[in-house]
Amino acid sequence: MKTTVVALCVFLSCSIAIGSAVLQCEHKELDIPKEWKDMVDPCVHSMRGQIEEELKAAMQYMAMGAHFSKDTINRPGFAKMFFESASEERQHAIKLISYLLMRGELTSRVSELIKRNLAPKTTSWVTGVEALKDALKLEASVTKKIREVIKVCEDNPTKYNDYHLVDYLTGDFLDEQYHGQRDIAGKVSTLEKLMEKHGALGEFLFDKKLLE
Amino acid sequence: MSAFTLTGAEGIMKTFVAFVVFTSFCSFVLAAEESCFNDVVRACKTTNKMSQFPIACSAKYGGIEADQEYLQKYVNHHFIRSFEYLLMSTHYANYEKNRLGFEKLFRDLSDDTWDDAIELIQYITKRGGEMNFNLISEDIRSEELNGNNFELYELQSIAKAMDIEKKLATEAFQIHEDVCRKNDKFYDPEISHHMEEEFMPKHRDTIRKLAGYTTDLSNLLKGPDSSLALFFFDEYLLKQ
Repeated sequence: MKTTVVALCVFLSCSIAIGSAVLQCEHKELDIPKEWKDMVDPCVHSMRGQIEEELKAAMQYMAMGAHFSKDTINRPGFAKMFFESASEERQHAIKLISYLLMRGELTSRVSELIKRNLAPKTTSWVTGVEALKDALKLEASVTKKIREVIKVCEDNPTKYNDYHLVDYLTGDFLDEQYHGQRDIAGKVSTLEKLMEKHGALGEFLFDKKLLE
Repeated sequence: MSAFTLTGAEGIMKTFVAFVVFTSFCSFVLAAEESCFNDVVRACKTTNKMSQFPIACSAKYGGIEADQEYLQKYVNHHFIRSFEYLLMSTHYANYEKNRLGFEKLFRDLSDDTWDDAIELIQYITKRGGEMNFNLISEDIRSEELNGNNFELYELQSIAKAMDIEKKLATEAFQIHEDVCRKNDKFYDPEISHHMEEEFMPKHRDTIRKLAGYTTDLSNLLKGPDSSLALFFFDEYLLKQ
């Protein structure tokens, strides 16, 4: 009888010890008012999509950088420009993330924000001017997608116009897009004119200019 | 007299044949070593406008051709980990977690893996190789089957970062072994040296740092004031 009681006591104390963990790794559920979070679902959804679009553009620029680094292509100026553009697109994605965090979003489904397979579609180009043209088309498509985010956040089924976000996207993001596009378009024009008469020499000289 | 002349002529003939065989053998051996030069000579002589660029003049030598695939996979793993660290950083920056120190820790890890990936692409192309963005190892691919969760509590997230870093560090060791010890077809100390210089010390230091954090955090979370301890630990991380 005594041994049974002792055994029972030992078993109970052991189970209590296992039940209440020694390491307090988690904290209790928080009770924070939610009225300040005023972004609507369609707008949040399209912003989340835009983050992935920026990272896809970053990986496409990365492929361009890798292509022009090859010994058989050997255009270090183009490679430098495209690697820098890749890192810049990643910074755009981080800016979008920061904005959403400021508005109180990204408290759930963060793990789904970035897909694993962001491998770029095109990985080789015949000339530098072809790659620059692709870059211009890429920027134009990103601009179009930002405009679509603006449209959704300005006018959606919930009839909520997110003034601050639309203003931020227009003033910050679109501004940078349009300046960047103008820069690339100028480069395409210069290089194409050089290539017309001077072919490989034109591309060679332009590449060295890009290194400056 | 005639017998002597015949022997003499035979001797001269034999010597001549031996000389021709010897010189052709020498030129054959030399030709194999100077294949870029030979390709260029051939290209400069040809009048055919459609002839190709001399192929033996690439930067490829040593083990790059055989090992390229593993280096490409290593680059892609770095990109995957960079995005995973970015997600962990994002999680700690939301208003519910609000751990700016942890946000900084994972953002720095994300930035480092991103920069390492770019540097490794430049290295592969320096050795005459090229990049393939579609290859990843089976081990990394199988992680997706278990479902990836990056919205973790503090100690769990550092533990996950530690596992990621150890996987990257071990993969560097495997690449090192592949080009030096494990095969008898080639020996490429340049690739292994690059791994030793650019990756291994960084991994060693990061793993040691994270291990220190898990030790400290485990001790802090055992005490009665775990939430206060976490707050101070987060502030400490912000200063690192």
